[in-house]
Amino acid sequence: MQTRFSPEQLADSHTRESEKILRSCVHCGFCTATCPTYLLEGDERDSPRGRIYLIKDMLENDKPANTEVVTHIDRCLSCLSCMTTCPSGVHYMHLVDHARAHIEKTYKRPWHDRLIRSMLAAILPYPNRFRLALTLGRLGRPFAPLLAALPGGDRLKAMLSLIPKGGLPQTSSDEPAAIQSSRQVAILGGCAQSVLDPEINAATNRLLARFGIGVVFSPGEGCCGALVHHMGQEDNALGFARRNIDAWWPLIENGLDAIIITASGCGTTIKDYGFMLRDDPSYAQKASRVSALSKDITEYLDTLDLPAAEPKSMVVAYHSACSMQHGQQIKDQPKRLLKNAGFTVRDVPEGHICCGSAGTYNILQPDFATRLRERKIKNIMRTTPDIIAAGNIGCMTQIAQGTDIPILHTALLLDWAYGGPEPTAIRSLS
Amino acid sequence: MNAPAAPQSEDELAALIDKAVSDRAPLSIVGGRTRGSIGGRGNGAPLSTRALTGITLYEPAEMVISARAGTPLAEIESALATKGQMLPFEPMDHRALLGTTGTPTIGAIAAGNISGPRRVSIGAARDHLIGVRLVNGYGDIIKSGGRVMKNVTGLDLVKLSAGAFGTLGVLTEVTFKVLPRPETAMTLSLDGLSAQNAVSAMAEALATPFEISAAAHVSANASAPSLTFLRLEGFSESCTYRAERLSKHLDNFGTLRLLEIDEGTALWQRIRDAEDFAGSDFATVLRVHVAPSKAGAIVDIAHANKASIMLDWGGGLIWLGLAQGADASETIQRISEAGGHPMIVKSAVVTLPVLTPASPAIAALARKVKHAFDPHGIFNPGLLAGHI
Amino acid sequence: MSAIAFPAPDNTIIVRRDEIIAGLARLVEPECLVTGDDEMRPFETDALTAYRRMPLAVVLPRSTQEVSAVLRYCHDAGVNVIPRGAGTSLAGGAIPQEDAVVIGISKLNKVLDFNIANRTITVEAGITNLAVSAAVAPEGFFYAPDPSSQLACTIGGNIGMNSGGAHCLKYGVTSNNVLGVKVVLIDGTIIDLGGDAMDVPGLNLLGLMIGSEGQLGIVTEAILRIIPTAEGARPVLFGFDSSEDAGACVAAIIAAGIVPVAMEFMDKPAIEICEAFAKAGYPLDVEAMLIIEVEGSEAEIDASLARIVAIARQHGVRVVKESKSAIETAQIWKGRKSAFGATGRVADYICMDGTIPTGQLPYVLKRMSEIVAGYGLRVANVFHAGDGNLHPLILFNANDPTEQAKAESAGNDILKLCVEVGGCLTGEHGVGIEKRDLMGVQFNAADLNQQLRVRAAFDADWRLNPAKVFPLEGRTS
Repeated sequence: MQTRFSPEQLADSHTRESEKILRSCVHCGFCTATCPTYLLEGDERDSPRGRIYLIKDMLENDKPANTEVVTHIDRCLSCLSCMTTCPSGVHYMHLVDHARAHIEKTYKRPWHDRLIRSMLAAILPYPNRFRLALTLGRLGRPFAPLLAALPGGDRLKAMLSLIPKGGLPQTSSDEPAAIQSSRQVAILGGCAQSVLDPEINAATNRLLARFGIGVVFSPGEGCCGALVHHMGQEDNALGFARRNIDAWWPLIENGLDAIIITASGCGTTIKDYGFMLRDDPSYAQKASRVSALSKDITEYLDTLDLPAAEPKSMVVAYHSACSMQHGQQIKDQPKRLLKNAGFTVRDVPEGHICCGSAGTYNILQPDFATRLRERKIKNIMRTTPDIIAAGNIGCMTQIAQGTDIPILHTALLLDWAYGGPEPTAIRSLS
Repeated sequence: MNAPAAPQSEDELAALIDKAVSDRAPLSIVGGRTRGSIGGRGNGAPLSTRALTGITLYEPAEMVISARAGTPLAEIESALATKGQMLPFEPMDHRALLGTTGTPTIGAIAAGNISGPRRVSIGAARDHLIGVRLVNGYGDIIKSGGRVMKNVTGLDLVKLSAGAFGTLGVLTEVTFKVLPRPETAMTLSLDGLSAQNAVSAMAEALATPFEISAAAHVSANASAPSLTFLRLEGFSESCTYRAERLSKHLDNFGTLRLLEIDEGTALWQRIRDAEDFAGSDFATVLRVHVAPSKAGAIVDIAHANKASIMLDWGGGLIWLGLAQGADASETIQRISEAGGHPMIVKSAVVTLPVLTPASPAIAALARKVKHAFDPHGIFNPGLLAGHI
Repeated sequence: MSAIAFPAPDNTIIVRRDEIIAGLARLVEPECLVTGDDEMRPFETDALTAYRRMPLAVVLPRSTQEVSAVLRYCHDAGVNVIPRGAGTSLAGGAIPQEDAVVIGISKLNKVLDFNIANRTITVEAGITNLAVSAAVAPEGFFYAPDPSSQLACTIGGNIGMNSGGAHCLKYGVTSNNVLGVKVVLIDGTIIDLGGDAMDVPGLNLLGLMIGSEGQLGIVTEAILRIIPTAEGARPVLFGFDSSEDAGACVAAIIAAGIVPVAMEFMDKPAIEICEAFAKAGYPLDVEAMLIIEVEGSEAEIDASLARIVAIARQHGVRVVKESKSAIETAQIWKGRKSAFGATGRVADYICMDGTIPTGQLPYVLKRMSEIVAGYGLRVANVFHAGDGNLHPLILFNANDPTEQAKAESAGNDILKLCVEVGGCLTGEHGVGIEKRDLMGVQFNAADLNQQLRVRAAFDADWRLNPAKVFPLEGRTS
């Protein structure tokens, strides 16, 4: 559609990129139909097309963000369902990232909003701080009803409810010794997942070793930056990205087959490093290389041609994380792998709609997140599953809050099917 | 009755209407005079379209035919037959039922929205009418729609005219979408079902993908058991295949019996024309348009009033024949209360309204629409009474 | 600049904005009333983005009663009203104005009743077209009209424009598939037209309402006819060396007594655009392509396709490619249905919607290329060949005002051509604001006056969607 940017505005790389995106949008409205918040609200302001329009108006007129616009952009899950739907190829992700950075620069949020955001940004990306916070949070859980009465208290309450009920899990076994192989990969250790469910990477490690893939460690890597990136903290996000690139670079120079990611939310961001750092001459090339090497674990395994495993009488509802199916367009590989590993795999009806997790969304937008979770669980139940499989820790935590059916990472199920230990959740099933 | 005025051209017709308007002299529009008072009993000087004849356009490859309003239906049907085509909605011929003579015209098919058994699958006359020319109560010659089947340009006065029984203007030319005549037809019968079970059987059949083209139920009388008919049409291999699948699907209703082709053809004409209700046995004949889910209730009312019934359109159309002495007025009221839309097709009692009145809000709106075409109430006063 | 004029907004209304907003605020929940300048921005246009006007306010009611209350208020306050569904109109049917309140029905999106015995579904009008089919699919049914925007467009909008789609060759358009509607009139009166029975006797106001483009009332509920899904369906792709051959093939198939469920045409530019998005396996080395779909059992499909392929061979078909799986079929249709949006990848476009007698296809295709080339622009053709409903996409650069004017002129010339050969201005998108000023090409004064008088029977003060459908001059009634 038509745009009105001045040459001066277009001198800015972000604006230039956004203008290109806006030009490709034909305002057909297809995206509204697959947007979770539009499905809930039936209000164009809470749809991709509406948001694109709000962003266009804000950017074209160099307007500082205001409360109304921020409300509707904040409600966006960044699930990117709209990008899968869009026939015109509008890169909504880059547009909304730009808008969030613009909001961060030009809008002053209420104190409680600022507080919770800085708290999340200061804790979640750092495993040690996160572990400590979870321990303290468990002590704080009895105060949840009191907190709910404070401004923004519904978010604190939502945050407390996400804390795992038992103690923090430990890995079931020691990591296998690194094997020597012509094919070497790095596995992203990341942040929150390593605290919430360290077994995921342990299982991934065992699985890869079993098929002759060497795993190398990359000290110094950590959070991918997605958490702060989605809050519009661009500089902070780029800092995380550069740190990870620095950590991986020596390994890449030694010859690396792939950087394996076991949380699809991180995968979407790391695959975007190349774009995020495009204007940084000292990192642009390295970032593109890192993005190109990044593979979701299922995407990588799918290239290995694994043997078929013994059939199991177990129905798996495969929940495709938005970052998996929309962000990375990985759709069939996980299901193919699970089927090949002997599971009966069922698609979840309305599977393209987000579960409401979306990074820190379930903390920052508890109302929408809860409605989406309920909708998701209702759809999952229609497949009458024994277990739920997913490839993203955020979805797993979110969905687990609303159902007793075990939810496991795809890698855990595959590891078990190919000779690894039986996951605890499954042991307790039988 | 006087010989009606029968203008030779659209312009002549328009001039005649102009005069009627300035004289405030109501007109009663007639075609072949075969359809009695099915839209209501009019009073006005008769004006006939019978001199406006001739097919004006027929493009078989585009599946479209246009003709002047007074063109005999038979002429249209034979022209279509030469190209292996047909009017898809199988218009009813009222002559047997009403004991009328004369020649049915294409204009009346449009004005009365006259459809037959195939309506349930492929739509009504209204659904196939894609263009009209008419003279309104200002004496203006108006066109709406055209000769293409997808056309949303402006308000759809075509659909509005269909079934308006000439109350909005005099149709001078109509254009219909037509379809290829099916290679063959196959009629299957389920014997001995009650009307209620027949409605269920027809609903099940119509919910299958086997493309039932018509579904009717002829009720028991002293000399014959009740029969439920399903018709399949298309290429013969396809009909055979669908008949087999259908037999399996409906086996809990009994065994499907295949009729001979000629027997089937005669049967569907008999159903189309409601021939069973002809003659003097019935003082009043009603047709009731109803949702099939409510057909059972209408059947109960019919039985309570000792009416003979026949179901068409899978239960969506119920014919009722009431004998002399039955309380037609009370039956009609109860049918309306049960969610049916009764319409008197034939009655010995001329004081009964042909249609049950519309709600006040809708009637008020319809009167405004009528006024927009016919401000002086020239056309067919008395028709669609209670509705406009 | 934009060539289509809007009536001058009524300043006496605009100065009363605060009072009107306060009045509306008494009728709906706060989250259902949009009044901030920034927040109303997304409602300033639909899918005809060349034209944009900010509304006075936007209301998103949650019930028929709320629609009624808002309409009654606007009627009494003398405020114009713009009905809006999903805002996917390509004809600008939902574009507001500064003195008008938008009433959007997108929150009215529930299924109210699904009656298998009657083969009907009753829905609120803001539900999307595809959601209706999705709701009845588990029971083996679908809702037949399938406009390309069916994923997003609402049933209310479909009723407003009498939408068609690729499969209406066999199943008809919206007006053939609606049994009843609940309508709110401009004064707030709620009426039910038609009903759950077929062909309810009386004046056919239902038929009049369908396709009336929000000029007569706001539809809030509808009873829709649903159809059993065929046992199977299979499209075949035919590639031809010329559009003329493809057009002749279509005519020959119909003449042979075969009515496929769909017959879609694409020319080379359209094939390239759609294939790039959908990767449907369209042949890229042909000048024109037909997608022809038939339904039934496997054996029936085989038999029908054999007949169709034989006819195509007589008309010089070069590529014949049958779909081999449900996934392939879905991809083939995804490509076709995304044609307009996918065109956005290469250029801005305006999409025409004229219908022509199918016998005129070869002539019109040739003339259209000449017309568009005459303006120095390009065209991609995608259309419903079986019924002659053309969708030439005229490509241009929206940031270049002279190109936009040229594109509009080329579009007007094409529509005039459609009428000249016996067709019409719009087959399924509606007149909207886009074709309003061309109405005189298809209708004479008497025709238009009759429509205007009918319109006045519903809305004498021109409150409903006032800038649309009818030319601004000559609105005397």
